[in-house]
Amino acid sequence: MWKKSSSDRFEYLQTLVTEFQDTDSDEAKEQVLANLANFAYDPKNMEYLRELQVADLFLDMLTEENENFVEFGMGGLCNLSMDPECRDIILQSGGIALVTNRLSSRREETILSAITTLMNLRTPSSRSEITDPAILQCMLRFSLSESPRLRNLAAVFLQDCCSEEQVARAEQQMQGQQQTAVGIPLPKD
Amino acid sequence: MAGNNNPGCWAVPEVYKHHEQRKVCISRPKYRDGRKAKSVKVYTINLESRYLMVQGVPAIGVMTELIQLCALYGAVEEYRPLDEYPAEEFTEVYLVKFQKLTSARAAKRHMDEKSFYGGVLHVCYVPEYETVEDTRLKLQDRRRYIIRAAQNKAREKEQEQAVSEEPTPSDTTSEKISARHEPTSDCDNTGESSNMGHFPSFPLLPLPPWEHPYYRHGNQHRTVTTEDKMGTLHNVIMDKKQQPAQSPSSSQISSHTDRGTEHRLASSQSSAVRFVPRNAHLENRKRKKEEVAEHSLTDVAGKNEPLIGPKLPDEPKLEMEDESLNTTVSLIRNTMKQVESVPDLKPVEKKMKQRRRI
Repeated sequence: MWKKSSSDRFEYLQTLVTEFQDTDSDEAKEQVLANLANFAYDPKNMEYLRELQVADLFLDMLTEENENFVEFGMGGLCNLSMDPECRDIILQSGGIALVTNRLSSRREETILSAITTLMNLRTPSSRSEITDPAILQCMLRFSLSESPRLRNLAAVFLQDCCSEEQVARAEQQMQGQQQTAVGIPLPKD
Repeated sequence: MAGNNNPGCWAVPEVYKHHEQRKVCISRPKYRDGRKAKSVKVYTINLESRYLMVQGVPAIGVMTELIQLCALYGAVEEYRPLDEYPAEEFTEVYLVKFQKLTSARAAKRHMDEKSFYGGVLHVCYVPEYETVEDTRLKLQDRRRYIIRAAQNKAREKEQEQAVSEEPTPSDTTSEKISARHEPTSDCDNTGESSNMGHFPSFPLLPLPPWEHPYYRHGNQHRTVTTEDKMGTLHNVIMDKKQQPAQSPSSSQISSHTDRGTEHRLASSQSSAVRFVPRNAHLENRKRKKEEVAEHSLTDVAGKNEPLIGPKLPDEPKLEMEDESLNTTVSLIRNTMKQVESVPDLKPVEKKMKQRRRI
């Protein structure tokens, strides 16, 4: 019985992905994307979502203009990247750069998902890329933010994902005017 | 640095966008339109929190009742009215901090948009009240839970394959999978291996905050096994669920028909997590308390403690007939003791009284 229901689930997810690809309506796309991102929260679905290459679908959303697409796609990645196998897939698809670019989003939820995703993507081999000075400087700025959620999450990143020397170096670079633009919100058109 | 008595948590609360109740989406095609009307929103661990804000509580002095209701879903560690938060007329807003995220999740799911003393509650997560440490632990727990789920799944598969035939190929796959998992748990635990010991049995999380009937249906027996490990909440509720049926209070229940249907809806969605009608629950508790009282009366003689003179009155112990309620009571009592030992509490008390005057 369980076997049957699990294949039902796969089919359902497949229908969602198909609708996402076929529809021309942005509204429907947003709804399906949010659905898929929420399905990614439950570890029971990870296997199916991997098979359906939903990680790549989410990554594609990060370069969209529509900010809802970006927010939902990033939320989906945040959920997916908790799973070690999905994390590896995201890393292979060049996820770090795409996610890092969205640290400059104007939406807090997008930024929060991006930070958590970056923390999830940390592996022995990706560590150097994730502790890039540009990202650390960005986290230092976030840690001074007025939003408590952003401040806390940036603090966790700085305390857990990199060494104190790395933070100190990033701080020096910030004072020495070698600032990067990562994490500075984009201007409104 | 991330002390629990962060002064920020006493500052004037701000209204954030995630507190808003979003508009329900009405344009979904049937196949992905769930039973409950939902808005288009993505839940991530960042949005969840063991801190909940409850809006729309009628300002008629029902704080105790509200916290009792919350405690049905798990131990409440702290709560306070958010007097400064903009509330609708004649309503109050409360901040409730649960001991566990899973409890907050269950409470949100069952209390949001439910009627409560004539008002309709709006319950949302308020992660902005977390400390840095809260946020860290929340993420760690979540990661651990997902990794454990992945490992369980791998094991399950292995067993399935072993049952079906040939043990040799299954061995290789399982090796591959476990090899892939080990480095992660290692890298996750760097620097916090001491923490590991404190959370050896993080309870398996229940299903995510959204739910789809489709999904529920198929996985029922799996859900039950997950929830066995959920601890107090589910055991307690399972215990009580037979009693309302045989209790003579059915007339009372039917007088609250709208409540009743809600619960039926909730119970049909989840097999194990049941919301017991409040009045039935309270009656139950009362009856049990009486039973216990009788019991203890008859048992006194049997105890072989020597009785020497009249004892000093013990601190009255409140037996709430519910583990989470008991934990909540003792937590609150301890906090009150701490607070009482601080001499100048007066202003706080005054403030609460003022607020109670409606």
